[in-house]
Amino acid sequence: MSSLENMLQAPGALLECDDDPEAVHAFLCERGLSDGLPVIPPTPERVERMLAYCDREFDRPVVKIPPRFGAATPIRIAANAVMAGCKPEYFPLVLLALEAMAEEPYNLYGTQATTHPCTPMLIFNGPIASEVGINAGQNAMGNYYRANAAIGRAVRLALVNIGAAIPGTGDMATAGTPAKFTFCVAENEAASPWEPLHVELGFPKEASTVTVIAAEGPHNINDHESITAEGILTMVAGTMTITGSNNAYYNGQPCVAFGPEHAQTVAGGGMSKADVKQWLFERATLPMSRFSKEGIERRFRRKLADQYANAPLDAPVRMVQKPEDLLVIVTGGAGKHSAYIPTFGNTRAVTRALERADGELVKSIQELKRG
Amino acid sequence: MAQLTKRGLIAAVVCSDTFMKLGSAQARVFGVPDLPLLKIQHPLGGLDMTKVRERASVALPQLLKVVKEKQT
Repeated sequence: MSSLENMLQAPGALLECDDDPEAVHAFLCERGLSDGLPVIPPTPERVERMLAYCDREFDRPVVKIPPRFGAATPIRIAANAVMAGCKPEYFPLVLLALEAMAEEPYNLYGTQATTHPCTPMLIFNGPIASEVGINAGQNAMGNYYRANAAIGRAVRLALVNIGAAIPGTGDMATAGTPAKFTFCVAENEAASPWEPLHVELGFPKEASTVTVIAAEGPHNINDHESITAEGILTMVAGTMTITGSNNAYYNGQPCVAFGPEHAQTVAGGGMSKADVKQWLFERATLPMSRFSKEGIERRFRRKLADQYANAPLDAPVRMVQKPEDLLVIVTGGAGKHSAYIPTFGNTRAVTRALERADGELVKSIQELKRG
Repeated sequence: MAQLTKRGLIAAVVCSDTFMKLGSAQARVFGVPDLPLLKIQHPLGGLDMTKVRERASVALPQLLKVVKEKQT
């Protein structure tokens, strides 16, 4: 492994500017190396400290990030993690998320360049999420917690700075979403009445995983009145059924993020996760007549002719194409709210477990500390 | 299109004016910086057939020019 010092000798590896915080902010914004908010300057010393939990070769690309297909080496990713405000122990989770997003089913190229307002939603499961402090409780999708803010932001900065997801040239989102600053949560496994997402997907409970979905921002589901499973799920289905959703036309995997209180009510009605998915698959539908005449003619009758060429106007349009395509998690704290997260169209969720170089599951982030 | 170009076929991409920067950048990324981009007015989506034909009438002469140049 070549030393960090040698790597920094490469042309363009180092930029110099005034060390005043406002000057650094202006310098990076002028060069398009920012998300617009102030960052921690990624000095060589800070980047080196960020790599303290990296078990990879610093200069070997982990992934290539489109649309530029920039080589995302640990050293480059570490620079973005410093900028985002990460602690070094967050770094393996940033790497893990980028590796998951680079898997073909996620469609990183499409999700980067699309006009649709999607961004990676990172859902962490397993013991390391709480070890590093990813909030799964009150305001889990909101602000305040460093790990949620910085891990999601580091991924986003890497997409911009390494992948060139620059608005207007590489990121063609019509209006985008504020979730593009960061969108990182942990599942509240302790408060969930169901098996956690990673266990449902076949990973051991002791595994620490990230699931990435190409998500819109969360759509809230307020329900203070329902006291039955059917009542809560009726409100969830109502929130899911929107004519402007990509999920009405494509095979994406949208997510229902139950608040723990809603989840307890639904599970208390005897419903498993599989039951919830089946129920919502059947009832989260809109009659085709709810779409515009042009939409019916051009989208349903022609592009989706196999299903709708001769279908009656009241034919159901599903918001999820198969029950198992719907992701169900529990996150957040007290309160009668849940959230629905629609997705980009041509994308699938990808889940990866954090492993050591020898392939063993990482049980504690401290296992990855160098030296 | 980049793959077709690399295989020696004549290829071009229809690109609306708003997407020209992305198209040019991607042509470079995929190793075919000279890939012809047939520029039409944005948008391409959500048009009636009259406007689709208008776009086609703008793109077609550009395509023919590309084909002639590549054949000579």
